[in-house]
This record gives sequence, C-alpha cells and structure tokens, in this order.
Amino acid sequence: MKIIITLVLTTLLASGASAHSKVNTTTPPNNSILANVPTQIEFGFANKIRLTKVEVSHDTNPAVAIEIGGQTGFEQMYTMPLQDFGDGSYFVRWRGLGMDGHAVQGEFSFEVN
Amino acid sequence: MLDIWEVAAIAAKVLLYTSLSGATGLVLVRIVFVAHVTSLERRLRSFALVLTGVAFAATTFSFLLRGAALTGDVSGMADPEMLGLLWTTSVGDVLFYRLIGIALLFVGLFIPKVGVWVTLTGSLIALWSFAQIGHIPELDQTGIRLLLLLHLIGISFWIGILAPLRWLARDPEKLAAAADLGHRFGVMASGVVLVLVLAGGLMAWLILGSISLIFSTTYGVTLVGKVALVALLLGLAAANKFRFIPAMQGGDHAAAKHLVRSVEIETFVITAVLGVTATLTSVLALPM
Repeated sequence: MKIIITLVLTTLLASGASAHSKVNTTTPPNNSILANVPTQIEFGFANKIRLTKVEVSHDTNPAVAIEIGGQTGFEQMYTMPLQDFGDGSYFVRWRGLGMDGHAVQGEFSFEVN
Repeated sequence: MLDIWEVAAIAAKVLLYTSLSGATGLVLVRIVFVAHVTSLERRLRSFALVLTGVAFAATTFSFLLRGAALTGDVSGMADPEMLGLLWTTSVGDVLFYRLIGIALLFVGLFIPKVGVWVTLTGSLIALWSFAQIGHIPELDQTGIRLLLLLHLIGISFWIGILAPLRWLARDPEKLAAAADLGHRFGVMASGVVLVLVLAGGLMAWLILGSISLIFSTTYGVTLVGKVALVALLLGLAAANKFRFIPAMQGGDHAAAKHLVRSVEIETFVITAVLGVTATLTSVLALPM
C-alpha cells in the first residue's frame, strides 16, 4: 500500500498538478525576448474566467500587483498596463476564478534586452 | 508543485468527505440496523454530532480557502469581494446545500423518533451538493449526478458500519451481536459493492472517455491509484466476510480481534481513497 501511495504522490508532485490553469495565449508570448518593455500585457484564456490577481516581478524588483479593478465579469481576453522596470526578466503570475467555480492560476515570463 | 492553498484545500476536503460520509453512514446504519445498534444509541449520536461539527467546520473552511486561492494569500479568506464572487458561482450553491444539509443533520440528532428522518434528509441534501460542482456537472446530465449520489450513499453506508462494528467486536460480551451485524452487512455489502464499482466505473469512463488516457494523463494515473486502493479495501472486506465473521459466529473471540484490526486498516485505507478523490476533484483537470 505504501508503494501505491508513494506512486500516486510522486506522480502528482512531479507533474505540477495545477492543471486547472489553461491560458491559451499571452502577449508577449511566454519565454519571448523583446527589444523594448511592452506598455501592456494580454491574456487569452481557453474559457471565460474572472481574473482576481496579477503580479509582475522583475530581476531587480520585488513582485508588484497590477491594478485589475473595474473588471467585474467573466472574460476570455484581458489587457492591462505594465510597469516599466527596464531591461531584464519579467515574471507575470496570475490567479482567477473559472465559471465552474474552480480557482485557476498560472504564470509566464519574458525577457527584455 | 502544489501550492499551499491547494494542499490546504485537499486537506479540508478529506476532512469534509470523511466527516460527512461518516455522519451520513451512521444515520443509514441507525435506520437499517436499528435492532443491532440499540445498545450503541448514545455513542452513535455523540459520534454523529462530532462528525457533523467537523463537517460544518470543513465546509466553512473549504469555502474560505477558495477565497485565499483567488488572491494567493490569507487575506482572500476574509475578502468580501472574493467571497461574494464565489457566492455567485456553483461554489455558492454548494455552500448553500451543505450548510442546509448539515443544519438538518444537526437538528435531527436532537429530535427523538422522527429525528432520524430529518438527519437522513439533511445527509442527502449535503451529499447532493457534491453533484453540483467538480467534474460530474461538466458532463451536464442529471442521470450522472444521480449516479454520483448513489455512489456517495453506498460509500457512506460502508463507512458508517465501521465504527459500530468495531465497538461491538471489541466487547467480548457482544461477540454474537457483532457477528450478526457483520454478517447482515456482509450480505447487503455484496449489492452495495456492485453498485459502487459499477457506478464508479461508469463515471470514470464518462469522465475519461478513452482507455488510453488512463496511463497517459495525471488524472488517469491518479484514478488508477484510487482503484488500486479500492481493490485493497475489497480484499479486506472479503477477509471480514469469509473468514472473521463466520469464525465469530462460531464463538471465536480471536477472530473478533482480527476483525477489529481489519476495520482499523479499512478506515486508514478509506481515508487514503478519500485523499486521492480530494486530489482528483480539487487540483486535477479532466484530460482532454
């Protein structure tokens, strides 16, 4: 039985079980390398969700929450302004609620040189 | 990796599953085996009360944890905007059903005679909440929701027999009563297990849709883990039915000790099954 439980747990932990987090497209795309800092970021989700939190962190700056106020409905596309931290790696982490009641989350990153 | 809110959500769900199915099971056992459990009346009621209290706490905590999952920190548990948002989705419907069901369960435990039917109604309303959220509603068919309800009633009945059977089997003076309860449950369990396995198998097939997804997706592999644990449970149940209970009917006190041990292991394995189920329903998406 221990073997079964270990197998199940190992599979779960190794695979990143948060599969309820389907973001179809982001602008800029995940892992892209850009010449300039984009003025805004975009999310395109497979299904409508309500974004509840978006945070951006940067090589030399701690995570900053992006204002998403005013968004009160469930949408498939979200666009929001991005703060300019200069060159370096940007990490965007988001959380939201699916229409089925499931919490969803994910992240993407890009680099500015 | 699972984040802390997902781990907490799974832990709260395991508590909810065990307490609600345990309380429901005790109600069912009280109705079906009323003559066998008369001597355990007070103990049954106290245990059901404790489980109902745990179910209430786990329900509330699960709802608040969903708020935390939306903000990624503890503030979400008390954020009116997040909790209000959740209330407008199926999460709110589920909270409503569970709180009504648990309240009826609680009140029914204090009402003599007809109270048992109030507790049964409450249990069924609370169990029905599980068909309002998760992967089964995604299939959007009432028949499948009823199948899930049937599955949950069967599981609850199984879980409900464990404590009374253990209490009776531990008392040397109640060996005959324990053997009779175990025997009668064993006869009924043959049907219950068949329904459980068929309903579970059918739901798994409807959810997965393809055998190839069983071994190629995390959801499928986790489901296989659950089935393996259930197979272990069936092995323990078979040992009880075909070895320990018949020996107890022959007056063998050592067999009663084996049965007690077997019931304790069953409780542990059932908790593991519920843990895997909580993971399947909390953090794993359906394979596409």
